[in-house]
Amino acid sequence: MKLRKVIKGIIAVSVLATGMSVAPVLAADITITMAAPDWPPTRFMKEHFDKSYTSPAGHTTTLDMDFIPWPSFYERVAASLTSGEQKYQMIVTDSQWLGAFVEGGYYMNLTDKIAADPELTAILQDLHPALVSAYSTYPHKTRAQLEEIGEVPAPGVAYYGFPQFPDTYVTFYRQDIFCHEGEMAAFQNKYGTNLPCSYEDWQDTDWTKWGQVGEFFRRAKGDLLAGVALDDDFYGIAYQAGKGYDFSTMQTNAFIWQQGGDIWDESKMPTAQAEGVVNSDVAVKAFDEYLSYLQYMPPVSQTGQMDIFVIQDLFMQGKVGAIIDWVGLGEPVLDPSASKVHDKSAFGPAPGSRKNDGSIDRTGNIGGQPFVLTTWNEDEVVDEALNVVKWWLNSETQLEAVSNGGQSGLMSVMADPSYNGLRPWNRAHVEMIDWQKDVWHIPEFFELLTQQQEEFDKAITGQISAKEALDAVAEFQQELLEEGDYIE
Amino acid sequence: MANTAKTRSGFGAWLLDPKRRGALLVAPAITILFVMNIFPLMWSFGLSFFNYKASSLKVPTFKGFDNYGKVLTDERVWERFQTTAIIVSSSVIMQLIIGFLMAMMFAKVFPLRRIVLMLVLTPMMLSFVSVGVFFKLFYEPTFGIVSFVLNFFTEERFVLLGSPEGAILGIVIADAWMWSPFVMLLVLAGLVSVPKYLYEAAEIDRASKWRTFWTITFPYIKSLLLLAVLFRTIETFKLFDVVYIITDGGPGSTTETIAVYLYRTAFQFFKTSQSSALAYIVLFIVIVLTNLYLYAVNRREEEVE
Repeated sequence: MKLRKVIKGIIAVSVLATGMSVAPVLAADITITMAAPDWPPTRFMKEHFDKSYTSPAGHTTTLDMDFIPWPSFYERVAASLTSGEQKYQMIVTDSQWLGAFVEGGYYMNLTDKIAADPELTAILQDLHPALVSAYSTYPHKTRAQLEEIGEVPAPGVAYYGFPQFPDTYVTFYRQDIFCHEGEMAAFQNKYGTNLPCSYEDWQDTDWTKWGQVGEFFRRAKGDLLAGVALDDDFYGIAYQAGKGYDFSTMQTNAFIWQQGGDIWDESKMPTAQAEGVVNSDVAVKAFDEYLSYLQYMPPVSQTGQMDIFVIQDLFMQGKVGAIIDWVGLGEPVLDPSASKVHDKSAFGPAPGSRKNDGSIDRTGNIGGQPFVLTTWNEDEVVDEALNVVKWWLNSETQLEAVSNGGQSGLMSVMADPSYNGLRPWNRAHVEMIDWQKDVWHIPEFFELLTQQQEEFDKAITGQISAKEALDAVAEFQQELLEEGDYIE
Repeated sequence: MANTAKTRSGFGAWLLDPKRRGALLVAPAITILFVMNIFPLMWSFGLSFFNYKASSLKVPTFKGFDNYGKVLTDERVWERFQTTAIIVSSSVIMQLIIGFLMAMMFAKVFPLRRIVLMLVLTPMMLSFVSVGVFFKLFYEPTFGIVSFVLNFFTEERFVLLGSPEGAILGIVIADAWMWSPFVMLLVLAGLVSVPKYLYEAAEIDRASKWRTFWTITFPYIKSLLLLAVLFRTIETFKLFDVVYIITDGGPGSTTETIAVYLYRTAFQFFKTSQSSALAYIVLFIVIVLTNLYLYAVNRREEEVE
């Protein structure tokens, strides 16, 4: 009996020892190649990863960022994916691309992974619902639809991405001229209302005042601006009005939504129509208002080339009083080596449409990017990529990122008492994020976008009216969406 | 000794037989050509008969000539062909005029001629992207040099790219700036090949300058001019980079050439089969133009002989 017991004991110990030596995941060298736009939020991620990331699984993990310039980012990522080279394990993607690349079989459905991992579930629950809606769901679910379901993750909803950099547009303005006593008095005298100087003033700024600011600060060479004679022409305002990519759609959508109009709503497929909605009277009126302020903007607005980078540059060169641009482009404005207004700039929420009750609707089109995983990775790479997601979205990393010009989509981080003080635009970002909606996510989004941008560009350059532009957009969308069975 | 005297036998001997050596030597080049050019061409030609989208997992189905029909009846395609034709004709004419005048100038000897000639040839050696970026910055109405200079006279900002006509002109100027030196080189080659004694004889006969040009100079350069026209037409027909960078096809779509539209269809809209069909239509046009070009080259050779 004793011998038997001893043998059993030896076997048990051996099995246990064998089991123990097999159970932990073997440490491996893992390289995660990530396609990323070349700008500060992704550069910081790489720097911070190299400094601080430790794999919880014990792997030696390298984050190999393929930094791609913004203008060719979509084409480069699309070419890589469709060529089948399987280069990337993770991709920083615009939310609009989800449909095209999910349907193409390139982006990984993370729903089951999130459901099985309490840490990922907690992150999803902590993310702002506007970001979950825009960055993660496909087929697209609106924030209202997700909130109606209540549960996170919502049953029946497929999730794909987590925020790498959640972006909103805010107002960048020159405090030295907007808070100049003489200018403030002259503005008050001319329009019977105050020139927005403080953050609170910008909270009360609607599009009408935005136009007044544009008219007021339009000065010619030799005129005085805040008591100083100008050596060049000066312009009051600027916002995006470019033909490329989405460089007018993002701003026009805000006007249309704020005034009660709509774009084709993919969340109401297949009953949602394009004709009659896209070119409704409300939408035409809103687009007309958008066009009406272009007269106060720098002359590049007449060429249809006033994109988000051009307005940033005009502001940094001291040619414009106030611009509406993405938070992600704020950091260079404060850089003394690049910006003439680095010590004069302040930030506020973007203007909106005043409602009958006096409140201001600031609904806007969300910017920024989620990151996604690709479908061809081995399990251990997927697990490690998700570890990278968890590392990036933990509050410590997020606060560090925000301190370095990034933004957070985590509500707990945004609620941190130090958050608003970390960067000068943070307060405006937190205020604006609640107003965000997104444009389409279906695979045909680029065709919809390109045609719309062309028609908007014709209106921006004065070739056609707002109504003609929206009629052409509505007709094109109706036909394309009917052909694709998105509209019954 | 025995080793060196050993004759090859079997497959090695068969392969290295002098009869096959030529084929063996060209085989790598043919293989690369087939893999890199012929196979993709055949593949994309095949794709043009399906409804394949590179971004979709749907199994493509055979559609016959549907894509060709769709492309040829698409108003937007014809608009782009018209735009291309306007840009090609304007640009080639401008290149011919400027190139010809420059060739006349450089046919004469003057101080620093070689250095000036070298400088004039520089644009041709730049990349399309650089030229596009240069001109986009030149035309920028707030900071750009064109607006800056004109502002001295008009006291207003000059917005060249704000209208369809201005934008086309902007592209044509950039393309002509880049490629007029090429036309100049061709014409200059013709000019220097004219025997000097013919001019001396014309001078003795007191022929007018126009008469001298028309009866002596022009016959020597006309086939080269035709070459320049055809070569530049083929190249400008495919114009992409400069348009994409300077105007992105705008305002609206008024400067969008067929090459830019083809790019959008293939790589932004991912209508792979439809874009293949359009690419073959463009290829057909280019082949026709190339044949004209080869015909002109042959005539030139006959004339030289």
